[in-house]
Amino acid sequence: MANPKWLKVAAQRSGQHTWTLGYIFEQYRKHEGKSAEELAADLDCSLEMLDWLSLCRRPDEERFAEHLGMIEKRFAVEPYRLAAVLRRVEVLDVLPASQEGGEAMGEDAFLLAARDHSTDDETSS
Amino acid sequence: MNAQAKESWRGEGMRYPSPADERVLHERVVQRDPVASTDVFMTYMDRIVKILMQRLGCDEDAAHDSTVEVIFTYIHKPARYDPGKGRLFSYLMQAARHRVVDKRRSADARARRDQKYGSDFAQRARTPKEELEDLVEARLAMKRLVERGYLKNERDWDALRLILYGERSTESLAVALGLASLPRDELKRAVKRHRDRLMKLLGRFGKEDSDGES
Repeated sequence: MANPKWLKVAAQRSGQHTWTLGYIFEQYRKHEGKSAEELAADLDCSLEMLDWLSLCRRPDEERFAEHLGMIEKRFAVEPYRLAAVLRRVEVLDVLPASQEGGEAMGEDAFLLAARDHSTDDETSS
Repeated sequence: MNAQAKESWRGEGMRYPSPADERVLHERVVQRDPVASTDVFMTYMDRIVKILMQRLGCDEDAAHDSTVEVIFTYIHKPARYDPGKGRLFSYLMQAARHRVVDKRRSADARARRDQKYGSDFAQRARTPKEELEDLVEARLAMKRLVERGYLKNERDWDALRLILYGERSTESLAVALGLASLPRDELKRAVKRHRDRLMKLLGRFGKEDSDGES
């Protein structure tokens, strides 16, 4: 079955809604300077799959592992790859503008946030 | 996506959902199921788009735009839909229809405003004498701008000359500013930026010029 014609429109529009994976992908590409093809490679999926994933709601913090599992089950995307993209954008999103250029600070914050989130995930599951 | 998941998921969108299916789907959206949104799109997009095109005479792009917006709004705020008042399909269909009608109204209003502006502008066309006076003033202004060192760049000089002579075409200004090779959207933004900058410069010059004369 071919992809529906509206898929591209919907995937592009998803970037305007902060609660979608489409928004996450757009921010990730913007901050990392990556093309859609490069992002698809990071997620180990096709461009078509990237469009479908864009329509998904981003996982809730309180049910992160559960929601990630639901996305994995539907789209067979590697959860750790998607989680890495999500965490990267979450860190970039909360960093003050003045610190965004600081690579070392960004990396430290990323690691701290990743550690915090992994603790949350472990305790919630 | 594995083949089994792909088939069952895509197959789900093909049949018309029963009221029970719709309730389950709505509940998943309410519960913030991360993949429920793709099922809403799969279930309703084609049906709604088809009806908008058939009954409202929409073109496909307009129907896609309105339906996508309506579905995203529903997924974001599902509580606005009350299952007790009717089917989810009816709710989304109605919302999409309203969206199309609203967009048409806005487009019509915009077209009327543009038309009015065009006719007002045509009615206010300047006489040959006024045009000649403007031209003389523009030349004098250009001369003073150069003398006082406001214009150091040849491209700025060309662009400002065009502006002062009443040129409104983005393309002409782009050529003068050396921006003609840019893609259309980028070109429009760049010309606007330069035009704004030159108008500010002109404003500053005008103020200092009048202060100097007084």
